[in-house]
Amino acid sequence: MNSADSENPARPARLLIAGLVAIIILLGLVLLALAIGDSLVAGEAEAGEVDALAESDNECVTCHRRTTTGIVAQYGRSTMAAAEILCEACHEVPADYPGAIEHEGTFVLNTPSTEMCEECHTQEVAQFYQSRHALPAYVAYAGADDLPPELVDQYAGIPEAQVDPDALKRRNALHAIEGEAITRFACEDCHNIGLPHEDGSVGQCQKCHIRHEFSLEQARKPETCNHCHIGPDHPQWEIYQESYHGIAYMTGGDDWHWEAEAGTLTVEDFPAPTCATCHMSGFGATGTTHDVGDRLAWYLFAPISSRRPSWQDNVVRMQAVCQECHNVEFIDTFYADADLATEAVNERVRQSDEMVAPIAAQINAEPFDEPIDFVYFELWHHWGRTAKFGAWMNGPDYTQWHGIYELLADLEELEEMVGEYESEAGLAGGD
Amino acid sequence: MATLDSLLPATSTERLRRLPLSRDQLMLLLAAFNLVLLGLETYLAHLISGTIRPREWIPILFGPAGGIVLLIAGVIALRRRNEATLLATIVLVASIVVGLLGTYFHVVRGSLPSAPMFDRISINLLVWAPPVVGPLVFSLVGLWGISAAFVEEPVNSGRLRLWGNRHLQLPYSKTRAYLFMASLGTLATVFSSVFDHARSGFDDPRLWIPTVIGVFATVVAAGLATVKEPGRWDVAVYVFAMVLMLLVGLLGVYYHVRADLTGESVIIPERFLRGAPFLAPMLFSNLGLFGLIALVSPREEV
Repeated sequence: MNSADSENPARPARLLIAGLVAIIILLGLVLLALAIGDSLVAGEAEAGEVDALAESDNECVTCHRRTTTGIVAQYGRSTMAAAEILCEACHEVPADYPGAIEHEGTFVLNTPSTEMCEECHTQEVAQFYQSRHALPAYVAYAGADDLPPELVDQYAGIPEAQVDPDALKRRNALHAIEGEAITRFACEDCHNIGLPHEDGSVGQCQKCHIRHEFSLEQARKPETCNHCHIGPDHPQWEIYQESYHGIAYMTGGDDWHWEAEAGTLTVEDFPAPTCATCHMSGFGATGTTHDVGDRLAWYLFAPISSRRPSWQDNVVRMQAVCQECHNVEFIDTFYADADLATEAVNERVRQSDEMVAPIAAQINAEPFDEPIDFVYFELWHHWGRTAKFGAWMNGPDYTQWHGIYELLADLEELEEMVGEYESEAGLAGGD
Repeated sequence: MATLDSLLPATSTERLRRLPLSRDQLMLLLAAFNLVLLGLETYLAHLISGTIRPREWIPILFGPAGGIVLLIAGVIALRRRNEATLLATIVLVASIVVGLLGTYFHVVRGSLPSAPMFDRISINLLVWAPPVVGPLVFSLVGLWGISAAFVEEPVNSGRLRLWGNRHLQLPYSKTRAYLFMASLGTLATVFSSVFDHARSGFDDPRLWIPTVIGVFATVVAAGLATVKEPGRWDVAVYVFAMVLMLLVGLLGVYYHVRADLTGESVIIPERFLRGAPFLAPMLFSNLGLFGLIALVSPREEV
């Protein structure tokens, strides 16, 4: 210590005192800020969103603010607009771009293709291309005959194309019967999530990431999946509502962290899962994916479900999500039981196949032209699937009354119908 | 002038003087190490969006390249001091520019230039923007590197020897300049951590630790830089603050890694990329180390 230190008793600790005073001032400011902040929270929440394009002089924005006001208003509140992604980045293309149309002195795509999304979201698009949501969704109604060779190859590499390749590549019979006037509003609306574009890209990201807000919250909420995953053939939305997961969402979902950083989600953000949490989100020890089949064990959509390729890996990924809340024994027991339920439904569908085998040539001659076609189809397409989905997604009423019960009733009806066919044809086994 | 000598017994002081590297060489080594790590950290941060845009590659490539060139300059300096100084200065000035450019890009990314006037920039936007203060670490490294690259003669005079017979008289001695840099660097780090931690609403009381220690270290470092005749106690409090900074950084790494691990302690790369940045807290340790090196007694160099 020097002489000056000994003259002033406070001097030796002057830096310590200054540092501590600074901390006290800081804590005081924090308390003040918290107090003011609390009084402003309600108001801020109301005025939370800012229109990032409010004073934009971009030509697209200024013109479309008059002609398609809603779209500009939506986009102004999107994170893409906040990141200064201009309309041109997604819509404007060279004059010779496939599908380009002339528009106000430039060339645009009315609906940007996946090629544009891929510019920034490379990984997401690559994962999507491997999924049921890509080409398999489109081929399911349109068939693969009109696909260019490179897309046929791409399709062949997707797990969903492996189940019954020849059958799946054919144009869907109902789609052909119903006709364009109906299908444009029916199957195509959902199945176009895998629509091929003229530029060679595939899919419509906007089916889930609704234009033009592209909100993370909207994409994560199960109502988004509800647009397609509903109804008698795949009532996942209804099953989810009946499940404990769905109940947790409906009773407490308002407080969940819908905008939490992707890839880091935990049970603190989502105390119970939505569709996205189990099938897509980076949650617990599972990374984010845009391949919705990446965590699935079975081809539940098929008449007779079989295991997916690498299903053991898929199960590990899905169970890593489950393990954030459930213990391993619970999960293993659940999987073992659900496997048995799947096999049990398979067995019933096999019965129906064996039942119609003697008259298969007769009833397959023309699709959906007689009542037995509908009964035989609904047996697996509606009730068999519903029973399996209900088992895997905790929807008891859908496994029971909307699933296996209807299936059993159809089996009886089918047996009767087959008997009538055999009688008419004079086949053995008929009355 | 404030140095560790005032705290340590004579034998330890003598040992410090016999270190194979001088204070300036230690500073340059730390700068090179920083640039390499900054390149890695920037790569991880820019990877979050899944696509690294062309301009985002600038700091990623510059960091390791600049660090390696600095090390090469260090070797060259053993024989040709002037050429080495020139090479190091080019790298370090570039580092300052990279830092300022990065800050500009991050502020632009965090603002809404076409929003209504008073909504164009807000605390909320800055909290959720890329870290606006983060790139300034490149500038800080450049600044301290340049200070270290030029010889101060005589020591503690603030008179830097440039090329040839040219000299530059600074308002402060090198030691004071280092102390100011430690203070400003710590302040910037505190801001950065406050913005980052604000994303989680500061719900966890542990998030306040770096804020409190950072403010303490900022004031103490600035105090030591400005006090005319620092006493032994002043130096002791400063060393205490810098050691706390070192520990806070290590503690931060531990907490960030814990947060990134899953409940089952499984390592998922995505969580490390998008979750708590596990390298970021090391900035506190970095500045603590920088602050301690600043107190090593300068020695005459040729």
